[in-house]
Amino acid sequence: MIKLNNINKTYFGAQPLHVLKGIDLEVAEGELVSIMGASGSGKSTLLNILGILDNYDEGDYYLAGKLVKNLSENQAAEFRNKLIGFIFQSFNLIPFKTALENVALPLFYQGVNRKKRNMMAMEYLERFGLKDWAEHYPNELSGGQKQRVSIARALVTSPKIILADEPTGALDSKTSAEVMQILREVNATGITMVIVTHERGIANLTRKIVHLKDGVIESIEENDPDKMDFTKEIK
Amino acid sequence: MFNRDFWSEIFMALRRNKLRTILTGFAISWGIFMLIILLSAGNGLKNGVTSNFADRIQNTYHIWASFTELPYKGHKANRYIMLNNKDIQLLETLYQVEEVSPVLSQGGTLIFGEKSKSVSMEGVKPIYKNIEGIKMVDGRFINENDMKNKMKVVIIDKNTSDELMRINGVSTMIGKTVFINGLSFTVVGVCKGQPWGDYGQCYAPYSTLQALYNVNRYYQLTFITRGLNTKEDNEAFQKELKKKLAALHEFSPDDKRAVWIDSQMVNSLETNRIFNTINIFIWVIGIAMLISGVVGVSNIMRITVKERTNEIGIRKALGAKPRSILLSIVMESLVITTIFGYIGLFCGMGVMEIVNMVLKTGEVATGGGEMSVFVNPTVDIKIVVSATLVLIISGVAAGFAPAWKSVKVKPIEAMNYR
Repeated sequence: MIKLNNINKTYFGAQPLHVLKGIDLEVAEGELVSIMGASGSGKSTLLNILGILDNYDEGDYYLAGKLVKNLSENQAAEFRNKLIGFIFQSFNLIPFKTALENVALPLFYQGVNRKKRNMMAMEYLERFGLKDWAEHYPNELSGGQKQRVSIARALVTSPKIILADEPTGALDSKTSAEVMQILREVNATGITMVIVTHERGIANLTRKIVHLKDGVIESIEENDPDKMDFTKEIK
Repeated sequence: MFNRDFWSEIFMALRRNKLRTILTGFAISWGIFMLIILLSAGNGLKNGVTSNFADRIQNTYHIWASFTELPYKGHKANRYIMLNNKDIQLLETLYQVEEVSPVLSQGGTLIFGEKSKSVSMEGVKPIYKNIEGIKMVDGRFINENDMKNKMKVVIIDKNTSDELMRINGVSTMIGKTVFINGLSFTVVGVCKGQPWGDYGQCYAPYSTLQALYNVNRYYQLTFITRGLNTKEDNEAFQKELKKKLAALHEFSPDDKRAVWIDSQMVNSLETNRIFNTINIFIWVIGIAMLISGVVGVSNIMRITVKERTNEIGIRKALGAKPRSILLSIVMESLVITTIFGYIGLFCGMGVMEIVNMVLKTGEVATGGGEMSVFVNPTVDIKIVVSATLVLIISGVAAGFAPAWKSVKVKPIEAMNYR
């Protein structure tokens, strides 16, 4: 599903910052992978490149068999819209839109008509137990609810891959466990998932843990999350 | 693309910042309002000035005699030149002259019943009505039959007519016999009066007055030309005519003062040129005012885009194409400029319509004989269309730069923007 060959990325500021120094990584379809590392290790940059939210300087990135390089903004938008679902630490919900409208937004950019869009969005909200909150605005929702809305939004277009940047970073441990449970269930339906985190507890819930340090992959650790006890708090 | 969702997004964005939208829009409204007021005023002035000649035909000439400026052939300067029958004959031999109407001026006193009034009587030909654009209120002007039979008929002006009717208690002056300098004339028509002076204005057939007074001196000759269609034609003709008149009256052909030859066509071309210049000037001022409004909108759009950077980043991450972002911002700016532009446009037009109504009522009250400086100060559909174009162009211009900037920014940078 994802194939990275020698990805390099440098931020050219006052002082050039070589963030990713030759990343090679493969993620198969249906995998649940976490990327772990301290802050500044380049894990968020890597995720942004995977999500085509940022470009890279060197190497090749294949997403679902297609080379993602020097894409026009239009092509990039199309890729993001059709193939990728995003989940962010800060939710990134649009504040003046209701939960339903937020979830329906990616479908709007696919040109789905209003009625169908709202129906599909409602289906996903219902799936995550938010039916009664559909007409609420983000500031009327709790952190966990917001993140469930953003998961619904990421899934509404049936993407091939979900990219989650610290999905539990803004949540308490109980809610974190719930959100991770949801993500694991989503992964179980066959959707590839890459989660960036700095919390070992979260990484332990994934099957593959990629350790990133100073822009290089230090190690890739196989993991069996089923050994984890979900009744316990994960933090 | 431009479906209900698209528009509801834009109006939602505008509603979220009502006060800001209104304040920004006001600058645009004001710019267009002033542009319309200025253009209407310019139009009114033009209509006012041109309406005073509007009914005159273009290919007419007036000649006045005056004092010479230069000594010539033994004559001293400041000699008074008087036009006479030889000038009429000269004009009638010229190919370019179609028809001459001398103006035989004869002052006098008009008496009808109890009332006597000072009048200026002019002996003219039927064509004079067209040359001067005389408007009939009642009856008719002098006709060929009057000329041929030297009829003692007279056309009096409306003010005189009203006065005579009032004092003598009659309902019409048409068909009444009046005495002018002791001679009886039958009133056959009433015309709109001259706007100046307190004396009455009468027109009688030229042939009649010539027979009665045997005049050989004219202050003014008028005539209609043919085939002189351009300014150059007219200037060449004026030069030729002046040379001939100079030979006839023995004044220097270089004398600028001795006779005045005045072409209606050259005058109106000149008038048009002046008003076109004024019009350009008004557009320049109006557009300059509008630009300040546009800059305001552009500025607000920049702030809006800045505030919405996060949102734009999220939208990009969710698959919004650059076109949709560009369009939504440009359209937002366009919506502000057009809506507020039209508010200004209609306010401006409304104000000028009211001014127009007030002017019209005034005209009715003064009997319509007045010389108008300001007529129908409104704008036509052409100006509305051009103003619309100006608004659309300025709206797009105001929105484009900020929109383009937001398109160019990387989605991740936009999302992380604080």
